[in-house]
Amino acid sequence: MSLILDGTNGITNLTSINSGQLGGRRNLVMNGEMKVAQRTTSSAGLGADAMTRVLDRWGLVTNTGDSATAGRVTMAQVADGPSGFANCLKLTTTTADTSIAAGEVMLIQHAFEGQDLQGIYKGVSGAKQVTVSFYVKGNANATYTCELFDRDNLRTIGQAFAVTTDWNRIELTFAADEDDGSSPFDDDNNVSLHIQIFLHGGSTFSGGTFVNNTWANQTNNTRMAESHTSILDATSRTFFITGVQMEIGATATDFEHRSYGEELLLCQRYFQQWGGDLAYGYFGGVASITTTSNAFMPLLCTVEMRANPTFAFVGAASVYDLRNNGNASHPLTGLAGDQLTKTVAGITLTRSNGDLTADVPGQLIGNNSTVGRLQLSADI
Amino acid sequence: MYKKVISQMSGQFSCIEKTVSGQNPIYIPLDPANTDYAEYLLWEAIDGNTIADAD
Repeated sequence: MSLILDGTNGITNLTSINSGQLGGRRNLVMNGEMKVAQRTTSSAGLGADAMTRVLDRWGLVTNTGDSATAGRVTMAQVADGPSGFANCLKLTTTTADTSIAAGEVMLIQHAFEGQDLQGIYKGVSGAKQVTVSFYVKGNANATYTCELFDRDNLRTIGQAFAVTTDWNRIELTFAADEDDGSSPFDDDNNVSLHIQIFLHGGSTFSGGTFVNNTWANQTNNTRMAESHTSILDATSRTFFITGVQMEIGATATDFEHRSYGEELLLCQRYFQQWGGDLAYGYFGGVASITTTSNAFMPLLCTVEMRANPTFAFVGAASVYDLRNNGNASHPLTGLAGDQLTKTVAGITLTRSNGDLTADVPGQLIGNNSTVGRLQLSADI
Repeated sequence: MYKKVISQMSGQFSCIEKTVSGQNPIYIPLDPANTDYAEYLLWEAIDGNTIADAD
């Protein structure tokens, strides 16, 4: 590919400077380097739930009910990757499914807010191409499909790609979608676009004629490429991916490496948690003891979350200890959400024994356990 | 499965408790941009599905 310099477009086909990246903030994907895994680093037996998250910002999607697969996989962050990448997302098939019902599907998915994609000019005059690149390998040769799914306007575009037993960089430039000028991405905090990698699917997703790299209104049976591999065809099957980048333009530039701290902050817009580090570690802020059996505690968000978050807690209530009045131990009997906002999540703490001292502050710590985690999720 | 939660601070309906057998409950804010709340709205739209009152 030749470097082109002209007065209209500036420099075209420039992929790097001094063999390094061009500059920051070209990559629209978060955690493309698979560095951040706040929830857990591995989860087994996946395939029954509609959405499962292990690494931040990456979900495993399957159909449920009558369209559920019997196949199961383990999704994990593992220390493997091409040169320059320390981690990847690995899927390992643990239960095969070779009897594929029509509606079955399994894919990995990354979601973008519409307000972060306005520079693509999607669905309006002057729409731009985008290039998606990533490194993949598997236990054997395979063919899968990478799709961009416009959730606002229900339009799709896909391209097939090949996997071998060696790490290879896949570079896929997707056509611009000017459409008729009436399908822009919404300028808001809701999901507008997914990058999806189809790894398994029935005839509902493959029965029609797949057209490579062409935007069209969503028609399910043309979404998977022909000669598509199923990751569930054998228990030996694996799929590794890292270095995922989506950038505006027709050129796949070098991967934009970010620090762990930068990636973590980006991910915390969608998920945050407290605890798990120390057996007697602190959770959140100071609790106000309102009665002998109840307290209220704010969780101050590290960064503003995408939306008001869902509150969850890990482990039994008794692994959380509300110290109060002379540092006396009061293992909890319940936790609940109260007022949940993007910047502060108020939660209630219950001690049904009724032995708290009211009107005295308290501090929530681990009850000699690292199991407990308080979690806020505003993912898409 | 879904139950109203009244805020101890404001005394108002502030979030929804969702329970699934064998798992801890989760607490969902009344925010249409929250995907769990969007899922609740779809459930509520089905005839016969009604959220339980708070305790």
